[in-house]
Formats: sequence, structure tokens, C-alpha cells
Amino acid sequence: MKEKLRVLDPVGQPSGIFGYRLNPEDDMMNITDPNLQPTISLDKMESLQMAPRLGSLENKRIMLIDTGFLGSREFLEELQEWFKRNMPSVKTELRVKPGNTFADAPEFWPEVKKDADGVILGVGG
Amino acid sequence: MPTAPIVTSRFAEYMENDNRTHGMKLRWSFPPYPVGWVSRETLRSYIEGNDPVTGKPLIEEIIYALTAPLTEEEKNFKPERRPRRERLLEPDTEENLQRLFLENGWTDGLPIVLPTEERVAEMLTGTDRDPQEVVGLMSVTPTEERLEYTVEKVAVNAVMAGARPEHLPVILAIAASNITSLPSSTGSYGCMAVVNGPVAKELGMNGGGAAFGPFNYSNAVIGRAWTLMSINFGNARAGQTYMATHGNGLSFTNMCCCENEEKSPWEPFHVQKGFKPGESTVSLFRGWNVHNLNIGNTAAEILNSLKNFGMMGNFTAILDPLVAKGLAKEGFDSADKFREWLVKESDLPFLQKEKVNLIVVGGESNPIYITSDFIYTATMPVDEWIPKGGIKKDARPLRMPVAITCADGSCGIA
Repeated sequence: MKEKLRVLDPVGQPSGIFGYRLNPEDDMMNITDPNLQPTISLDKMESLQMAPRLGSLENKRIMLIDTGFLGSREFLEELQEWFKRNMPSVKTELRVKPGNTFADAPEFWPEVKKDADGVILGVGG
Repeated sequence: MPTAPIVTSRFAEYMENDNRTHGMKLRWSFPPYPVGWVSRETLRSYIEGNDPVTGKPLIEEIIYALTAPLTEEEKNFKPERRPRRERLLEPDTEENLQRLFLENGWTDGLPIVLPTEERVAEMLTGTDRDPQEVVGLMSVTPTEERLEYTVEKVAVNAVMAGARPEHLPVILAIAASNITSLPSSTGSYGCMAVVNGPVAKELGMNGGGAAFGPFNYSNAVIGRAWTLMSINFGNARAGQTYMATHGNGLSFTNMCCCENEEKSPWEPFHVQKGFKPGESTVSLFRGWNVHNLNIGNTAAEILNSLKNFGMMGNFTAILDPLVAKGLAKEGFDSADKFREWLVKESDLPFLQKEKVNLIVVGGESNPIYITSDFIYTATMPVDEWIPKGGIKKDARPLRMPVAITCADGSCGIA
């Protein structure tokens, strides 16, 4: 019978600390650096809630927001064309999220809320 | 604001984890990948076709995301608190444990030294610090959960890398930086770890000929430990959290070396960063375009390389001592003087002196320098991890044959 060994687990422990909204002021090099970005603990995170849904898209204003990643604009333009062809009562508008692709844009969202009922945000990756 | 977020299917699992990290169970839709550089017809087919992850029509998912009432789970979503892991794994044979580590993605693909209790206890003699002291938190991406690790966990990964207790202080210093050697980018980062100070000689590290090659035990195991820690503490999983399209061969040992302080005409790199010469440190770097060969030992030649390099604001040159000595002969009697001159003469408005780094490594075989876009990230003190009694060496420390180097390229040839 071969000897059995006891070994220690090499993997780190879950910390309950997560990355949070990336710093919109940062340049591209810093924004992809986990050490330089804000974090949030699990207990603070539990307070985030999803917005109620629209029930229907008929006659709604939907903003298509381009995150700036490669191909996003073209994809959303095609999506806009799909709505024109198939759901013409849906009013779509395409806008570009300002700032770094990966970061939040806090000053942008109030104007989106004013001008739209819902948002399609893409395309990541 | 009700939102339908869209990310390509390539990142589906990553985004599912991200659901948890932001406290909301978002309604993602996943078109096929890639979205960039494909025709409009292709994009149309994505929109009119199915989500490859769920198999459902993509457009229906987008409409659902905006219109269907929130479920009870979505209204009351509580991010999962993951349970603590057990300290020990189930006992098993050597063969089965090697397979377990490999198949779980806990290694770099090469055989490891299994971290038995005895081996880890021996490794821990390499420091006086409490094994349960928390050293740091790491992640390979900015958004994911950080994993926490103790002195003992670092020792586990050090054993796996094939290190000895003498290496543990440097490995702990790297771990304390929280910096991963596998930062996630589709562009495949490579990293470098440069040791300065007395510890380099004590460990028999190499900053001379073939320093970056597979010829020095201490260089290799320290560099390897950094990557094993990055996998196991940073949660690096290829295609899921680590998104490099090619990956980087440097990641096995991360160009780990010591600076060639003996042959350098300048003050050591860590002294340039504010440390004393007698202090030991390890400096960490990451970059994409990281190993470009150049020959020359004049300021004008290096300036030309810089101008033609195409970097994005960070420039690190790794100079053979012959190159640094050539610059010193031209009057650049300090690295700082040369950095200042380079920035001024480059005429590149975005280049700042703080983002230009000069490291002296090499065996004086030829006046060769490596240009790179290495970003300098941190210099970490090593001394605080060294036991009071000094570096814990084996009775017969393991050392590989020392690289034979020839001063000034002569090799005794008349």
C-alpha cells in the first residue's frame, strides 16, 4: 500500500473584500491594476438593489450606451436597426459613455435617467 | 434605471462571478465573440441568433432583462459568503496529490514539491513571523474578490515552487505587495522581480551573465513562487479570470534576478527609490512589450531606441554593465542624470522621469540592453521578514554552477 501524505491547501481564503467601481480618474495602466482600485466589503455591498422593470418596451425610450470597447458601437447600431424594423414604437438613442471604457461615469447617469426609461449597456469583452 | 447589460460570451463566467461581487444578480446577455473586427452581417446574425451560453434568442433575453418583473431572488439577492477553506487536504498518495494539484489548476503545469506539514514547517523556519499573520490580499483582476493569505500560505506556495527556507523572506516580501505576476489583460503581461541589497549575495542570486535564463536556482524558485502565489491567491484561471490571448512565457519565473550592483557604475535601483544600500529589497515590474534586444553603449543610441520604441508612457531599460559604464564615461555618473537627459531629449510630452527605469543586469559579454514598457509597481522591503538570527540557510545550500563571465568581453583573448 502506497504511503498517504497530508498536505496543506495552497489556495488563499475568501476575504469578503471585492473590487468596486473603478476610479474614473485613472489612466488605462492604473485602471487594470487591482492594487490601485477601490474595494468594498461584502456587508456594504448587500444594500445595492436592482431597479424595477418596465413591463413592456412599447413607446418607451431606450438608450443604447456604448461603453467604448471594440465593436460596441457597431453592435449597438445594428441593435438600433433591429428595433426600428421590429419594434418601431421603441424610441432608441445611441450615446457613448464618457471616460475610460472600464470605469464608471457618475456625472453621466443623471442625464441618462432624465432622457430614457431604460438602458442597454454594451458590449463588454 | 432598468438596464440590460451585454458582454460577449467569452467573459460569461467572469461576469457571473461579478454578479456576486457587486451585490446584484444582473440580467446579462451574451452575444458570440468577437464583436470587434467582424462584419455588420455578422453582428446582425448575433442579434438575431442565440446567446451561445444559454441557447436562448439573444434579443428575447435583452427584452426580458428590461421588462420582466424582478423575481424574489433578484429583489432579495444576497451575495454569497464563501466558506473558509480547510487547512489540510484529504490524505492521499504522492501520485494522486500531484494529479490533484495539477487538475485543480493550483500549479504552473510543472511538477511541484508537495507541501506536506513537515516541509511547510521547515519552510517556516525561514522567518520569525507568526504563521497565521495575514500577509496580504490578491486578485488578478480589479473587480473580483481578493483572496487573503497568511505567512503559512506563502510558505506552502514556496515549498511548491521548490524553494528553501532561505528564500522565504524575499517571497514574503513579494507576497506583501499584493501584486500579482499574472495581471489579467488580453495583451498578456510579463513581469519582472529584481532583488537588491545583501540578501541577493546570501542567496547566491545571479545578476550577471544569463541572469534571466534557467541557470540560477534562487532566481528560479523565487520567481516561480510569485506565479504560484498569483495562481492560488490571485485566483488566476485561464479564460475565466486571466484573459490573456497568448499568455506569456515569462510568467514561469518572471525574469527574477538581482541587479548587478557590483559591476554597475551607478547607485543600485533600490537606493534610487529611497532605500539604503545595506537594506535588501525586491522591486516588481509588469509590461506587455518586455524583451527587445538592442546593441550599443552610448546615450544617443539609447535615446534612439526610446524614440522608436512606441511605448505608452513607461520605459524600462535593462542595461548590461558595459552599457552603463559607457554612459558613465559620457558623463552620466548617475542613473538619475541619464533618466533626466533621456526625458528631455526624447521630446515625448507624455514621458515623465518617474516612469523611466534603468536596471543594470548582465554578464558583460556585449554592450547589449533590453528595452521594454515595464511599469515599475513597487519596491518591497525584505529585511522585516528575515529571522533575527539571519537568513536560514541549509548546511549545504543548493547552488547551480556559476555563470562564467568575461570582463569587457575579452575572456582572456589577446
